[in-house]
Order: sequence, then C-alpha cells, then structure tokens
Amino acid sequence: MAFALFFPDPLPYVEGLRLQEALHAARVADRIPDTVLFLQHCPVITLGRRGRSNHLLAREDQLRARGIDLFEASRGGDVTYHGPGQVVMYPIIRLGQGGSGSHGYLHNLEEVAIGTCAAFGVEAWRREGKNGAWTAAGKIAAIGFKIQRWVTLHGMSFNVEAGLGGFELIVPCGLAGEPVASLRSLLGEATPSIVQVAGAMADRFEAVTGRVLERIPCGDPLPDVLAAALNPA
Amino acid sequence: MDTPRNLKYTNSHEWVRVEGKQVVVGITDFAQDQLSDLTYVELPTVGDSFSGQEEVAVVESVKAASDVYAPISGTITAVNNGLLDRPELINTDPYGEGWLFKMLPDDATELESLMDADQYDQSMPDEE
Repeated sequence: MAFALFFPDPLPYVEGLRLQEALHAARVADRIPDTVLFLQHCPVITLGRRGRSNHLLAREDQLRARGIDLFEASRGGDVTYHGPGQVVMYPIIRLGQGGSGSHGYLHNLEEVAIGTCAAFGVEAWRREGKNGAWTAAGKIAAIGFKIQRWVTLHGMSFNVEAGLGGFELIVPCGLAGEPVASLRSLLGEATPSIVQVAGAMADRFEAVTGRVLERIPCGDPLPDVLAAALNPA
Repeated sequence: MDTPRNLKYTNSHEWVRVEGKQVVVGITDFAQDQLSDLTYVELPTVGDSFSGQEEVAVVESVKAASDVYAPISGTITAVNNGLLDRPELINTDPYGEGWLFKMLPDDATELESLMDADQYDQSMPDEE
C-alpha cells in the first residue's frame, strides 16, 4: 500500500521541499509507506546539480521582479521552470521494492508521462539521449530526481496549460532550440483539468511501478502516519 | 540482475570485495541500472575516515543524483580516478572497472554483518 496526496493550490517551492524532506525522513525510517505528492508550484526556476547558470536567460533580480523565485535544487538534471498549470509529481518511494527494479526508475517516470499523454489521446515518446517525454509540439515532461538512502526525492513535471512563461527565461534542461509543449498546445479546447491530469498520472504510476495508491483528495484529513510525519509535535 | 557470488552486499546497494586486508567497494548492477547513464562521480580523498553507512561518494546521471555509503567503518586507501573521465564504466562494468574506492576496515568483523549474494538477491523485488 502507498499513499497519493493531492494539493489544490500552488505551493511555494520551499514548502514543497519541506514536505518532501519530512516524508523522505519518515520513509527512510519506515514510519510511512511509499507516498507520492501531486501538486503545482508557484512560479520558480530551479537549477539541478549540473544546472549551469548560463542556461538562465535573465538575472535573479529580473526574475524576482516577474514574481519568479530561483533555487538551486539537489536533484539531478539541469535548469527547469515550475508554475501553475503544470502538475509536479514527487514520488517519495523506496527503490528496490514493489517491482520498480525491472527497468530503472528514470524509465518508469518517462513511462508515466507517456502513458498520461496517451490517456488524453496524445502521442508521446522517448528520445535517445534526451530524457523526458516528447510530443509533436516539443517536450511535455521534464525529469530530475535524487536518491538518498535509496528513497527518492524530486521527480517529474508535466505541462498541462500553455503560457508557462517562465520557460522563456531559461534554456530548459540545457537543450537549446527545443520547444516546450503542453497538453493545451496539443489539445486546445479539449484540454483536461489539472485534477484530471494528476489523477491520470497517479493511474499510470500504479500501473508502471506495481504499487496501489490510496488517494487522499485535496483537503481531506491526512492518515495519522502522514500527519505525524508532516506536522511533528 | 547480475549478482557475483564472491562479493558481500549492503542494503543500500553497494558491493564489497575483500582484497587482503583491504576491501574494494562499488555499486551493484541494480544500483547503476536505477540511475541510468552515469555522467559524474564525486569520490572521497585517500586518508579520509568514515563510519559505516556514512555518505562517502556521489554518483550522478543526466537526471539523477545518488549518495554512496561506506559499507563499514574504515579509512580510504585508494579511489578509482579513472571514473572521473569515464563514469560510464560504472554502467558497463559495475563489479570490475567501475569500482569506486578501497578502504582499510577499522574492524574486519564488521564484514560479517553484510549480506551474501543469496541474501542480497532475496532482498530484491521479483522481476515484473
């Protein structure tokens, strides 16, 4: 059994980090089962461990003037943008359990993105040497994660709405000249809601990783073990 | 997954080979597979001492970063500097040319607490 937590309102990046770190510590100590967060972030640009600031096309003060925060994250990968209109999935799971060992974690995250696209009739694929999920309109999902004590942190972001303007301020993932896609840019009027997309991602996550997620909808009380992990007395 | 019989294993997916008084340490086939193509390695300094399960090294792929832990307490006696230019050796030969570092154990009896190949295999998930 594993939990999936859904958050209704965009969270500041630091709050997302706090939730992840609290759950990670609890998962390492076996106080909670695997838990997957589904949320949106307030506008933020994050640099991965290999992220180079020359992939940033604006100065930090210019970003802040536009209401965009800047963080150096401990995850792998290069620079990316998060903001409202994008579903971020942070699995806090122990690798090497529940069948996640067969293809590798990166492959599994890509599979979740490709399957989520398929659920809404969008074809997506991998590109050799370029991680993530790609569509006819460009890259729709970006991946960057960290494994600590063999429990994962960070994860994947999936673009739903167009006009994720922060991408114009960076060279996403350090890939120059590669367009950023969203479900909106591919489906227009038929674009599903953020809640629908998060639900589809949870479905695919279950299928790909062999876990069953007990879903805690937005605003519902947390199971005791999660409440204890997130709000220590 | 390939699990050589003559090695010892940790539950954080390091392998250990006893070589005289020293041990050679690397990450397992499972570990390299989870991380995909490795692009960067951060190694400890010869002479540094670590306690068991302390973070010793970092391995990174294009999209992932993972810590590597000391399987037992001891002092670093050698590091595989060849990985700095060719981290992909960890993917292609995790139990051979992809070794990470050597340690002189503080207490060789600590090795007895590590898993053998059968125990390590049993700790892993069934293939789907």
